[in-house]
Amino acid sequence: METRFKAPAWLRKAFYFITLLGPGLITASAGNDAPGIATYSVAGSTYGYSFLWVILVIIVGIVLVQEMAARMGTVTGKGTADLIRERFGVKITAIAMLALLAANLGTTVAEFAGVAAAGELFGISRYITVPIAGLLFSLLILRGNYKKVEKVLLVLTLSAISYVVTLFIIKPDWAQIAQEAVSPNIPLDANYMMLVLAVIGTTITPWGIFYLQASIADKGKSVQEYGETRLDVVVGSIWGSIISAIIIIVTAATLFKAGIVVTAAEEAAMALAPFAGKGSSILFAAGLLGASLLAVSVLPLSTTYAFCEAFGFERGLNHKFKEAPVFYLIFGFIIFLGMVLALIPSIPLFDLMILSQTINAVLLPLILVLFLIIANDRSIMGKWVNSLPANILTAVLILVVVAATVAMFVAPLIT
Amino acid sequence: MIYLSKLLDQKVWDAFGHVVGKLDDLLVDNTDQTMPPITAIAIKDGSSEPKLVDAKDLATLWPSITLNVDISKLDLLKSAGHELYLKQRALDQQIVDTEGKRLVRVNDLQIARKNDRFYLTGVDVGGTGLLRRLGLENFAKSVAKLLNKRWKTHVIPWEDVASIEHDDPLRLKVSQDRLVQMEPADIASILDDLDHHTSKALLQGFTDEQLADTLEESSSEVQQAVIAALQPERAADVLEEMDPDEAADLLADMDDKVSEQLLNLMEDEDEEDVRTLLRYPEDSSGGIMTTEFASVPGNLTVEQALHHLRTNEEAKDDEFMFYVYLLDANERLQGVISLRDLVTAPLDQELSKWFDDDPVAVNPLTPQEEAAYLVAKYNLMAVPVIEPESNVMLGIVTVDDALDTVLPTAWKKKLPRFAGR
Repeated sequence: METRFKAPAWLRKAFYFITLLGPGLITASAGNDAPGIATYSVAGSTYGYSFLWVILVIIVGIVLVQEMAARMGTVTGKGTADLIRERFGVKITAIAMLALLAANLGTTVAEFAGVAAAGELFGISRYITVPIAGLLFSLLILRGNYKKVEKVLLVLTLSAISYVVTLFIIKPDWAQIAQEAVSPNIPLDANYMMLVLAVIGTTITPWGIFYLQASIADKGKSVQEYGETRLDVVVGSIWGSIISAIIIIVTAATLFKAGIVVTAAEEAAMALAPFAGKGSSILFAAGLLGASLLAVSVLPLSTTYAFCEAFGFERGLNHKFKEAPVFYLIFGFIIFLGMVLALIPSIPLFDLMILSQTINAVLLPLILVLFLIIANDRSIMGKWVNSLPANILTAVLILVVVAATVAMFVAPLIT
Repeated sequence: MIYLSKLLDQKVWDAFGHVVGKLDDLLVDNTDQTMPPITAIAIKDGSSEPKLVDAKDLATLWPSITLNVDISKLDLLKSAGHELYLKQRALDQQIVDTEGKRLVRVNDLQIARKNDRFYLTGVDVGGTGLLRRLGLENFAKSVAKLLNKRWKTHVIPWEDVASIEHDDPLRLKVSQDRLVQMEPADIASILDDLDHHTSKALLQGFTDEQLADTLEESSSEVQQAVIAALQPERAADVLEEMDPDEAADLLADMDDKVSEQLLNLMEDEDEEDVRTLLRYPEDSSGGIMTTEFASVPGNLTVEQALHHLRTNEEAKDDEFMFYVYLLDANERLQGVISLRDLVTAPLDQELSKWFDDDPVAVNPLTPQEEAAYLVAKYNLMAVPVIEPESNVMLGIVTVDDALDTVLPTAWKKKLPRFAGR
């Protein structure tokens, strides 16, 4: 029974700190989703610790980008899609939104595939787990009250702790890790470049930006409280990156050492068993399941909201289907297609995942450029415009992503 | 019909066929009118600031934009500061459709010519406006023809629109005037869709009573955001205007220190009412009751009782007054009479004869579901809440508050945009 009788002060203080860790932590944790875990596992098992430096780059990049999104959400109270539409008009918005829709549809398929793979590691058929995940979480989000939904999501972020536990089971050689992270041996081949891009592309995502900004705008925190919001975003981003690093370390310390190269998260989970016991295999699967469910919960709906908001279609779950047909059709379409594609046995899921990540990688610089323009517009941001270092770092990030994208497309033509 | 999107970036010609520049924007004034006149056009010609040309120098807008003066004799205007720049401040922005009672996005703006002058007439919020902006109008029209569908534009007349810009006091005032005429529940649902900054700014101009009515219909998030944005004294005034049970719900969700401060700023009587309610759990009868109800003392005639109700302050506070309660000197509940029975009873008769002296009642800790059940079972509009041992009457649970359990609050409470509402 919910009452007005208050909890003791220490409990409320602890809870207060947790409430600060809301959107930032959820977004960062959802960033370590099925495609993310797959990419880190592939990178760790293929190139070992020499891939860890990428995470150092990513920490800077993700803190930078997510802080910008959080600041824009706090100052304007609006979502990314709103601001793009109001600042750049219909044409650019249409391009950005269609790309976002395509990329997020692909990512949703990958998340459902992650749910399927994780379920099968626990011995449950994908024909059971995927429909349950799709329907249950749609229902939770469609019918639940946000405060409760956020609590469920925060519990799901805890699944990442399973990687920390795995790390302690494996006991890697920390001296070697430190040495290789700082002075890595970087092979200059197209495959390595592609993986670098994939790791960036799966961690710093357009949908992460859209989701974070919308949820912060909706929390309605004032700019005076921005310090708290920034704390949440920075802590969340760093925590997410540490988990990414741990996945690379775990796979590098076991699979890379033994010369086993995996191409998917579930392969990594299974391959772990001989090295670190069945327990770590299960832990790895639990992490995969939690992150995939988290992403399945937030990705389709945040995409639908962004799309409808940008074009002014009636949206929101307090409307009937007849009042908001576009909203329900797009949401249903993403969920349905995501589930079906993840269930068709002959669908080349790996190629689909690569395709959606490629769209993400192409979309990311576009979004970041629009982002930079808005974040520097005084009529929108007032005194909260970007600082010069933030602008320079973001520009460098855009160039790196563009260069890596070009390299990825051009490299196969040359070699 | 002329649309803004068709005009922007078109060449502007002077009376002798010289190109002055390209159309950058249209300016309208007096946006509170049904059809605000276009007062000036902004032309970009490569210089840093667009040139403003008075609309009286404008010969035509469509099919070509032509001035009726020579380029060398152009009278350039200075912005007066209160015009609405259509492209810059209206196109692509969100506005409130006060007729359809929803938030929409401006896809295009419709302009009409009347007596050689141009006026802003409407706002295109439909998909056809989007297609026009994308340059796909003709293609889509032929597809529509092929499919035998009617080409339907969705244009809202300007008079049914409230443009909302929180940094623009003048236009915000116009919007407030138009919004205030809507039902509080409709305003509340628009507030739920609006971003926090705009909704706060919009509500600042409401009177305490309008604000209180709107907040009563709003989601908890909007309530919190609005109250937090007000000066504490004003917030307390608004809370006084709200139903005590709604005010108590709102305060219960707030930080202890803040709610204590607001309670202290409220009038003693209202403060007392709210504090009483705050003692009970949110989903008990005590938590949802209102302390404002009409009562009469026992030993009156019908005529005296009616007179008492007309002059009594507490009776005036009762917004519904389905029933009148009979209380003794110690405020103990003795009986109840519906207002209808009271009004139709002979004036000179003893009041106690007409009362039901065994009314259905609940105590403050009775669960809300139980109160709802009693209300439904006995077809009541309200059920009295009494202190269990003393029989002192504390308040009433009205039918709408009781039924909130049956119609889940989740329907009404807002979910953030990304996670559904």
